[in-house]
Formats: sequence, C-alpha cells, structure tokens
Amino acid sequence: MTTRKPLLDALISMLTAQDVLVSCLGANARYLPHMRVPCPTFALCDSMGAAVPLALGMALQRPDRHVVALEGDGSLLMSPNVLATVAAAAPPNLTTLLWVNGRYESSGGQALPAVAVDWGALARAAGIGHVAAARDVAGLREAFPRARAAGAPALIVVEIAFDPAESIPPYSERPDEIRARFRF
Amino acid sequence: MTGAQQIVAGLEAARVSIAASVPDTWIGYLMETVRRSPGIRAVDVAREEEAVAVACGANLAGGRGAVLIQNAGLLNCGGVLAGLVELYRIPCFFIVSLRGDHRDPVYYHAPKGRVTEATLRAWRLPYARADRGSDLAPQVARGVEFCVEARGPFVLLISGEDLA
Repeated sequence: MTTRKPLLDALISMLTAQDVLVSCLGANARYLPHMRVPCPTFALCDSMGAAVPLALGMALQRPDRHVVALEGDGSLLMSPNVLATVAAAAPPNLTTLLWVNGRYESSGGQALPAVAVDWGALARAAGIGHVAAARDVAGLREAFPRARAAGAPALIVVEIAFDPAESIPPYSERPDEIRARFRF
Repeated sequence: MTGAQQIVAGLEAARVSIAASVPDTWIGYLMETVRRSPGIRAVDVAREEEAVAVACGANLAGGRGAVLIQNAGLLNCGGVLAGLVELYRIPCFFIVSLRGDHRDPVYYHAPKGRVTEATLRAWRLPYARADRGSDLAPQVARGVEFCVEARGPFVLLISGEDLA
C-alpha cells in the first residue's frame, strides 16, 4: 500500500482548470495549500461528512464543470447515506475519491470501528454508477480518467497506508481566505 | 394562490435554483409544488445535514440553494451550521416546518415544538415565523436575500395551515 502524498500528487497532476476540487477535513485539506492545484479548491477544516454533499450541490449547479470530492473513510462511515443521495441525483460530473486508512487521522490516528467495510460493495449497493479501486499511483492514474469519463456518479476507493510518523502540515489557510478565493 | 404556491413564488422571485429536502407531511406537500417549478431543481436527500451541504454547494457554485426540512431535522444540523455555514459564511436559506406548537394536532411532535425556537436563539440563527396574514412570497424572498447579504443562514418557520 502507498502512503497518501504520492497519490494526492498523482491526482492533482490529472486535474485541469475546468475541474473543481472539494476536500474533506484532515490531511488532504492540510496538504492542498502547499500544492499547485490547477482548479478552484474548497477545503473543509471541520464538518465531517459534508464534502460529498457540498460537491453534489456544486455539480448540480454547474453541470459544465467536473467536481472532484475527497472524502475519508471515517467521514463517510458517519454519513454513508450520501451515497444513495448522490446516486438518486445522478450527476454525471461528480467523482468521489474515498481515502481509506481505517483511522481518524486528523484527530490523532484513532482507529475506526473495528470492521473491514467493503466500501466498493457499499457504494454499488447504494446505486453509485461507477465504482473502482486504486492501491497505488499507477492504479489511480488508470482509474481516475475512467471515472471522470464514466458519465455517471463515480467513486474510487483509494486504500492508503497509515503512517503515524507522517509529517502533515498544519492548516495554513483560514475559512474566509478559502471562501474568498473560491470563484469559478 | 395557496400558501405553498406563494412560498414557491417567493423562491422563484429570489432566484433559488436548488431546493434540497427531507420531507415530513407538511414539507412533502410543499415539495410537490416546488417540483412543478421550472426554475428550481428539487434534490431529495437522506439526512438534513446533507441538505445544508447541498444548498451551500449550490451557493458556492454561483446559484442559490434552499433547505426544506422539519424542525427535527434542523435540530440535527448544529454541527454543519457551525462548521460549514457559519465558519465559511455561506448563504443558506431554510424553510422549516414547526412541528409541535399549538397549531399541530400530532401529540408526539410537542417536545420538538417546545425546543425549536429556544434552539434557534441559542444557535444565534436569525429566523421568523411565516405570517399567513400577508403574502408569503415576499417573506420568502426577503429571507433568501437576507442570507445573500448577510452571508449566513436564515430560517423561516412554517406551519401546516400556512400551506393551504
């Protein structure tokens, strides 16, 4: 299994100015200000579970843009109902990357409830039209373009290694700054 | 016009583009009218926190989102109101069915009716009760515009008899 950062680097390298990126709280949101993201980016620092429905609202409002949501397994476990909501709304321009490490990483790496959730099966059962998995950079480079071109709500399960020694930068942008810069 | 038609006319006048909803009996009735609006996309969600995020997403993407839920659902939304709507100062207009006040004949809603307005005040949420004595459309439109101008939430409380 790969650690988060190479996979996040690979994803960012595949985004274009026509995409829109929404990140859940935690490590992804903390890395993004330090990366050259080519598209409008809205990063949460609180509100677990809000990334996917926030991205859904954007995708429905702007069908001319492809919206990419980054969500963690802890957040989705808190609100898996959103999978059915997305499936019902059926936006063809929404791709979710579900980062799975079994940890509440942003609060110190506590373990999720001790069960191996089959996220792909859960997403399919909820009606998500295109479900894929990626365990390394090569897998993500193959899965993401297919998901973006699927013409249906897509979800990629990205399994990552949890590294308690990973040096994740602190939050460096405040919500008012993120909000003011988010224009498209 | 029925009250429901007036509410939808207000949403249309304020250029609301997305209405995210979890229904109860009253909100479900109202949503039947919303769904007939050519300018508003109804989005059925499973939990009320999702409705808030969907509406915020629409607002951040240049549209105008509204949340149509019961007061039980509003009581679920403290976290997302604090961590998304207030923290990022996003316009978010709510129409909330006020179950459990003296106009509601269903006994099991009463505990929610007792705490709803107290909770709104505790959460510092600007709100109003719909006044069926005058046209509801401008009350709705003013609420939406308040959200845009104040960059935050506004809650319009409705009762079942307001919809007739």
